[in-house]
Amino acid sequence: MSIFTPTNQIRLTNVAVVRMKKGGKRFEIACYKNKVVNWRAGAEKELDEVLQTHSVFVNVSKGQVAKKDDLTKSFGTDDLTAICKEILAKGELQVSDKERHSQLETMFRDIATIVAEKCVNPETKRPYTVNLIEGAMKDIHYSVKPNKSSKQQALEVIRQLKESMEIQRAHMRLRFVLPAKEAKRLKEKLKPLLQVVESEDFDEQLEMVCLVDPGCFREIDELIRCETRGRGSLEVLSLKDVEEGDEKF
Amino acid sequence: MQHHVSKRRFAMGLSSLDKIIALQRNPANIRNLCILAHVDHGKTTLADCLVATNGIISSRLAGKLRYLDSREDEQIRGITMKSSAISLHYRNGDQEYLLNLIDSPGHVDFSSEVSTAVRLCDGAIVVVDAVEGVCPQTQAVLRQAWLENIRPVLVINKIDRLIVELKLTSQEAYAHLQKILEQVNAVTGTLFTSKVLKERAEEDEEEEEKKKDSKTLSGDQVYDWSARLEEADDSQLYFSPDQGNVVFASATDGWGFSIQQFAQIYSQKMGIKAEVLLKTLWGDFYLNAKAKKIMKGAQAKGKKQLFVQLVLDNIWSLYDAVVTRRDKEKVEKVVTSLGVKLLARDLRHSDPKVLLSAICSQWLPVSQAVLLMVCEKLPSPLEIAAARVEKLMSVGARRFDSLPEQTQELKRAFLQCSSGANDPLIVFVSKMFAVDTKALPQNRQRPLTHEEMAQRRDLARQRHADKHTALWNKSAVQVLSIYYSISLSGQMESLTLKDSKPEEEEEHQTFIAFARVFSGVAKKGQRVFVLGPKYDPAQALSMLPEGVSASGCVSEVPHLSCCTMESLYLLMGRELEELEEVPVGNVLGIGGLEVSVLKSATLSTSPACPPFIPLNFEATPIVRVAIEPKHPSEMPKLVRGMRLLNQADPCAEVLIQETGEHVLVTAGEVHLQRCLDDLRDRFAKIEISASKPIIPFRETVVRPPKVDMVNEDLGKQHKIAIIHQVKEGRSSATLHVDSGGLVTLTTPNRLATVSIRAMPLPQVTSLLERSAELIRTLEQINMSLREGKSLDISHRTLEAIIGLKTQLEILLQGRKWRNAVDRVWAFGPRRIGPNILLNSVEGYQRPSVWQCLGRVVKAGEAGAQVIRDLDNSIVSGFQLATLAGPMCEEPLMGVCFSVEKWDIQSPASKVEGSSETLEEGATAGPIQARRRPEAASADCYGPVSGQLIAAMKEACRHAFQAQPQRLMVAMYTCEIMATADVLGRVYGVLGKREGRVLHEEMKEGTDMFIIKAVLPVAESFGFADEFRKKTSGLASPQLVFSHWEVISSDPYWVPTTEEEYLHFGEKADSANQSLKYMNAVRRRKGLYVEEKIVEHAEKQRTLGKNK
Repeated sequence: MSIFTPTNQIRLTNVAVVRMKKGGKRFEIACYKNKVVNWRAGAEKELDEVLQTHSVFVNVSKGQVAKKDDLTKSFGTDDLTAICKEILAKGELQVSDKERHSQLETMFRDIATIVAEKCVNPETKRPYTVNLIEGAMKDIHYSVKPNKSSKQQALEVIRQLKESMEIQRAHMRLRFVLPAKEAKRLKEKLKPLLQVVESEDFDEQLEMVCLVDPGCFREIDELIRCETRGRGSLEVLSLKDVEEGDEKF
Repeated sequence: MQHHVSKRRFAMGLSSLDKIIALQRNPANIRNLCILAHVDHGKTTLADCLVATNGIISSRLAGKLRYLDSREDEQIRGITMKSSAISLHYRNGDQEYLLNLIDSPGHVDFSSEVSTAVRLCDGAIVVVDAVEGVCPQTQAVLRQAWLENIRPVLVINKIDRLIVELKLTSQEAYAHLQKILEQVNAVTGTLFTSKVLKERAEEDEEEEEKKKDSKTLSGDQVYDWSARLEEADDSQLYFSPDQGNVVFASATDGWGFSIQQFAQIYSQKMGIKAEVLLKTLWGDFYLNAKAKKIMKGAQAKGKKQLFVQLVLDNIWSLYDAVVTRRDKEKVEKVVTSLGVKLLARDLRHSDPKVLLSAICSQWLPVSQAVLLMVCEKLPSPLEIAAARVEKLMSVGARRFDSLPEQTQELKRAFLQCSSGANDPLIVFVSKMFAVDTKALPQNRQRPLTHEEMAQRRDLARQRHADKHTALWNKSAVQVLSIYYSISLSGQMESLTLKDSKPEEEEEHQTFIAFARVFSGVAKKGQRVFVLGPKYDPAQALSMLPEGVSASGCVSEVPHLSCCTMESLYLLMGRELEELEEVPVGNVLGIGGLEVSVLKSATLSTSPACPPFIPLNFEATPIVRVAIEPKHPSEMPKLVRGMRLLNQADPCAEVLIQETGEHVLVTAGEVHLQRCLDDLRDRFAKIEISASKPIIPFRETVVRPPKVDMVNEDLGKQHKIAIIHQVKEGRSSATLHVDSGGLVTLTTPNRLATVSIRAMPLPQVTSLLERSAELIRTLEQINMSLREGKSLDISHRTLEAIIGLKTQLEILLQGRKWRNAVDRVWAFGPRRIGPNILLNSVEGYQRPSVWQCLGRVVKAGEAGAQVIRDLDNSIVSGFQLATLAGPMCEEPLMGVCFSVEKWDIQSPASKVEGSSETLEEGATAGPIQARRRPEAASADCYGPVSGQLIAAMKEACRHAFQAQPQRLMVAMYTCEIMATADVLGRVYGVLGKREGRVLHEEMKEGTDMFIIKAVLPVAESFGFADEFRKKTSGLASPQLVFSHWEVISSDPYWVPTTEEEYLHFGEKADSANQSLKYMNAVRRRKGLYVEEKIVEHAEKQRTLGKNK
């Protein structure tokens, strides 16, 4: 039984606690802030830079160290370093401020990059730069949700940006060949999904090249496949319809 | 600026507009000249002094006002940024002259403005600072004047600094001036020598050719260059005071003189002939007082030179009396001896400079000296040199003799400078400049007449009375009355300020062409041909009917268009005066050309006129920045603004890149700043931000090293690579990587499997890059063939395709690449890129991309080759993989993916439990081949095609990672002209920026070195600026994109051995350039960067509460 006196007390500062429940018991380890995520990602390889101490606690803030029996019972070993590593890898962690900050920032950039990749300026058919999108996202006060995927959020951002600036999903260029019989009927059904019909050629079968919103691709694909029972074909000519090359004024 | 607002209406001072119009008709008395110099040598100050003679500005303000610096930033920074013209009237005895004076900027960033000014002139005043001497830009402007064949005269300025700042004695000052003169002449001499040598080389070449023709060898052919140099006459070339083409001046103090003036003064005083004095006043002569003779050899005998004794000493004593000692009595003595009348006000003034300039400007007015020299020594438009005309008219290295006859006839009109009605009009526009539409004379606000004012006042009162009554009921009387008085006065102000016409909000800027008439008379409203730089008069003459005029519609002659000169202006600095017509030899502004002329052009009424040779720019634009509006919604405004900027600036380039960036390319940092200011305040009128442009990279793989020179431990390295990527793979159950780099991946529904290997492409990358267009056509042909349609392919394309194929076959040699060309499945990314997808699947005879050739050769065999189902998905997956690589999502380059196995199980067979591989393509008919397995659509993983695309993409990425990966950087070639003394610093800057010198050679006849180097684009930001700073502007780089280069260092390399730890440290990030680039890109794109958030856990700020 240790007595808390100033002489035998080791005070830990900048603690980030990683917890894990195993064998019905809760174990905690004391780590440095802003390091655990790096360790998990493999960027930090030095264990001593992550762990404040190699001891395993029941409660870090109270300084209660876990009993050896409990450790052996739960982990099957009493090697503290090995147990610490396991807890580090599997336990639940507190995300520290800088970690959260860098995570959000990375995600913000990622979303902006996805938006910039997917969208064009409808007037010039040229993409916007990531910087510009980032600025626009800040202007509309978009806040990143860390538990949603970047792609999902990117689609959300596009919808919101449309209100404040000229932006549009880059169209896909599709070509489909429809057998003559179903052509007319199918065309009517497809019409609301197509943005621009670039060419239309009707001799034995109907051949169309058109621009569509990428969101409608599955719908169109399904429609053609089911309605023609596999006799029509659909081909993606380009995933993104953008101006290529540099333009000099 | 506000000083002369009152003079707005008629800024012509003493000489009226009518006078100038009259003078314009006499070309013999017109002088078109520009002022050239290094930055801060006093061009604009000198121009001020000249402008003051016409009473446009007060002579007291001359030198302080900088009248021709009309831009706000010019005034703030104190440097000129654009060339501007002003017409001056000068009377010399009974002769009256018209001077079209163009002031030019001296800063190296604006040397394009100098080019535009020099082209329009016949002569130039080169100003040199007496203290600083010849500077880099002095050399540059002398070269430009030389190249344009215009005659220079010299003004050595700021001599007062020698007295006041350097405190030289008159004797020392003389030596100093002599040295400067020598420096200037040395530059001219170099130009002359290099020209003679060049001509000799050309002549030699011709002789060689002749020799070859006649096949007679003359034995006495002596290569003696000195003889030729001596033959060539260069006496006219050099600056010398006794030639009368040098003026010594101090423009700030308002004095200046040439030898002639003093020669005249002293010939009266001393009774020596003026001619003798003129010859001896400059040089090693002294006055022997006893013999009353002028003797040679002053220096040897330790006597004062004549120039020192008679000229400099006087000035020195004046400065001594006025500035240094402030001796009132002496001043009065000097004043009376000079016969100068002074105002009491000036005498009492506390600043001696005021008194000094008051005396000097009467005693030796600088304008008098300079204008006299200009009128005597510079040529009038009539004296335009035949050589210059020929040079101007022979565009594109064509000799003048080879031009059509009609064109050669134009030369006569040119030389005669006649302004008869029948003479063809030839005008050269050297730049377009923007002026505020409101500042145009036709829109200029005129003072309101009394009746109008009264009328408006009534109107305003009426309006306010209405408002008044409306508000009456609601507000308190007191508040209202205050409001009333305030608003009424405000309204009155706005009324007087407002233009009489309703304002047109949309067009704020009007472009005016800065031009000169070289032949004929320009009339308002005249239709003229606009000749583009590539226009060929010979071709046009054959196409156009005889005697066609510009008023008729123009047929489709290339590079020829028509326009109307809607208005003509006399350029008076910032003011413009409207003119009805402008005769030959004058500088003018033309309105209404902004649609047909972009930056510069030649205008003519005769289609036989050739376009003038393009302007010779000393500096090419190399500083690149990306520009963005602060608010994304203002994009259209930015684009419009940039378009205007492009037209208004002769040197700025504007482009939109494929990435969507708006890039502005300027000549230097100062120029960039000006362009940004212009965009912000004049053209776009929005908030903008400029940033470093995005730098493109490419990803590639290289051959695995056969021998590791460092550790000879290859197996381990390989293992690391494989471990690395197995870790990244999401499900190792579907992914398998063998030690050879073959990656096998199964789709999530376990139906399809692909095996892919990545290989570096040897040498063919650049070939594929170059033939991107051809591959695009090939791809189109293939697509239509697949549809079963036949397309007419022109013979030429077919031949080109065959050519490409054979070239590929030649380049792809060796066992590994056997039959590779025939097995090409696709190119990527975007179906045209420099990466190849190879079909190495056994038993899959897919028609190759070359099928359009095969069809011609053996049509029968094509039927046996059928495209397998879902073939398209494989190609799409490949396209996606090559578009964004695993290193930093940049496109791949020079990578070959070979598909070695591709199995698809039909869903039906999966149900039965058998894992039989179906070769569907071989058995199914063409119609069935197009059918999709419908059952698959019910799959939880989405349609099979989509899954296969994803699987293919992942497989390609893993295959790529299984090889040693490298980053490729874009490289600029960089040509540098540098003098010998800054050569070391040139190498220093290049070395710091990871540049590599390819070769270096000396330019014949000069002391310039030409260095060719390559430099990564990523390192080029700020390069030009650093370069100029380090070399004090003596070297100027030019950057052109040249090629892609693999960085040899591996971005994933980590030190493993003890020595490597010692050498590179634990992280090895100091030496690894490619890792640095890769991480920068990843960070920019928001990808994961393997970096610690905090370096040292213990060194974080302690956030404890009670410690």
